[in-house]
Amino acid sequence: MMQVTTSPPLLVDGLTKTYPGGVRAVRGISFEVAEGEIFGLLGPNGAGKTTTLGVLTTLVRPSGGRAMVAGLDVTREPLAARRAMGVVFQDSVLDNDFSGLANMRLHARLWRVPEDRIAGLLDAVGLTARASDGVRTYSGGMKRRLEIARALLGRPRILLLDEPTLGLDPIVRSELWAMIRTLQATRGVTVLVSTHYLEEAQSVCDRVAIIDQGEIIALDRPAKLIDDLGQHVLEVGAGADPERLLGVLRQAPPGLREPMSTGSTISVPSWLPAPELTELASQLDLAGAGATTISIRPATLNDVFLYLTSAARANAEGAA
Amino acid sequence: MTALAGFTALYRRRLSVSLSQPAALAGQVLTPVLWVLVVGPALTRAFGGFAHQVNYASYVSLGQIVFILPFSAMFAGLTTMFDRDWGIMRELLVAPIRRAVIPLASTAVVLTVAAGQFAIIIGLALARGAHFATTPGRLLIALAAAALLSAGVYGLAEFLVYSIKKPQAFGTLIPAIGATPYVLCGAIYPIAVLPVGVKWLTWVLPWTHTVSLLRYGLMGDAASGLHQIWPPGLSPAIAALLSLAVVAAFAAITQTAAHRAFLKSTVK
Repeated sequence: MMQVTTSPPLLVDGLTKTYPGGVRAVRGISFEVAEGEIFGLLGPNGAGKTTTLGVLTTLVRPSGGRAMVAGLDVTREPLAARRAMGVVFQDSVLDNDFSGLANMRLHARLWRVPEDRIAGLLDAVGLTARASDGVRTYSGGMKRRLEIARALLGRPRILLLDEPTLGLDPIVRSELWAMIRTLQATRGVTVLVSTHYLEEAQSVCDRVAIIDQGEIIALDRPAKLIDDLGQHVLEVGAGADPERLLGVLRQAPPGLREPMSTGSTISVPSWLPAPELTELASQLDLAGAGATTISIRPATLNDVFLYLTSAARANAEGAA
Repeated sequence: MTALAGFTALYRRRLSVSLSQPAALAGQVLTPVLWVLVVGPALTRAFGGFAHQVNYASYVSLGQIVFILPFSAMFAGLTTMFDRDWGIMRELLVAPIRRAVIPLASTAVVLTVAAGQFAIIIGLALARGAHFATTPGRLLIALAAAALLSAGVYGLAEFLVYSIKKPQAFGTLIPAIGATPYVLCGAIYPIAVLPVGVKWLTWVLPWTHTVSLLRYGLMGDAASGLHQIWPPGLSPAIAALLSLAVVAAFAAITQTAAHRAFLKSTVK
């Protein structure tokens, strides 16, 4: 009992997973989530986020390392670990033929918790009026809210959310994040969330880990990661010959980092304040090198993500 | 206690799913009801049954049980497949219950539905003029045979669900496994009239043993057909126990295979 109360809600240590066939989905990742924290696991498709969540939810058997939920090793004490967590999957996992209330009741029976908790949670997610309606009639956002309420029914120490806003429109996504924030604050639950909506992660998560090709390539507060990259980004619209522009930008005076090319846009992070970066950009003959647009904007977590994942890929290709 | 609570919750949920599809239940009952109420009595009137020793209405009504119960059990596999692919299975897999309870609860619901269907068939047959004679021991054997066949076919369905993956492929197997053995097993005519090669095939079908046990339990030795399966010198009671062992072995094998396939598919 002492162990449960003093250990971190979530600890991943040297976790590896190699699927049959040799696919190495997770390659020795480690992180710890503190009590009451909202921790984001960010990464492109196939990065290893879902496999990591699969190990934590006891749906994937790890090849090495360990994963602890509420101080419980998920491979040695899976039942107790599952009792300590609430899970919301990437796609809807509901009994569509039944009402929202019936779905909540089933969860209460499986987790062996009092059904009188249901009303308060349905109220918290704004579904009281629709509780008796069939889930089939719910919108995507309502289903997701119901799943979050259901995941909280067992009063878990940690809430695992796998891409909770995937496929929802921006307004519903914004409402859902606000709701998660409120629930986290009022119920004191620790949250691990995987998402590739980086602007949302930036505003919601206390810390994030960026995972790519099965490895964590950065782990810190979003603001710190942005600071490390550079406060601003010089963004250049490339014409038909982006290589010429890349050449100009790579030979620029100190202050600019390695340019990143995504589609027809070249982004260059910089530590320089906006006025100095503007001055520097004006000194470069970007228009002459084929730039169609030039702008300077604050850096975001999206830039950090693109910068780190493209750098990791470049390193991997270089090594190969 | 945890396992029992989990089992009860899953049983109630799965039973609700089964009962929430009245059209499917009615569709499965319709064919045997037609046989019991219309075709069986019509054949009895037309041909007087066979050998004038057996009441054909009774004979064919018990034969319908080995159609409806296996067919329903195969059909129940679709619910399992739906839960896995589009439904609530992952929620169940992350619940703090032993995962082995999940297929057990589903099997229990299949047996509950089978019990209801069994009662309907027998009730309708009696209303239509069938006659049954039994003792507690023989009734127990008949019920055990029906339950084991249902559990065995559901085990096979669940094994296929977790082995095949594609709903379309499983869908084609429902009539193939649910209905084809019924035609061969002696449900509507004695297997003695079948060609020798086909007769051998029927001997290995659990359906054949089950329908014989149902007739042994509810109609007596002469109508059972057990003497067409086992050597003539064997006593009916021994033959019945041997046939029950065959059906029990079928249920044990398919349930074990289903359990393994389920657990293998739940953790990658």
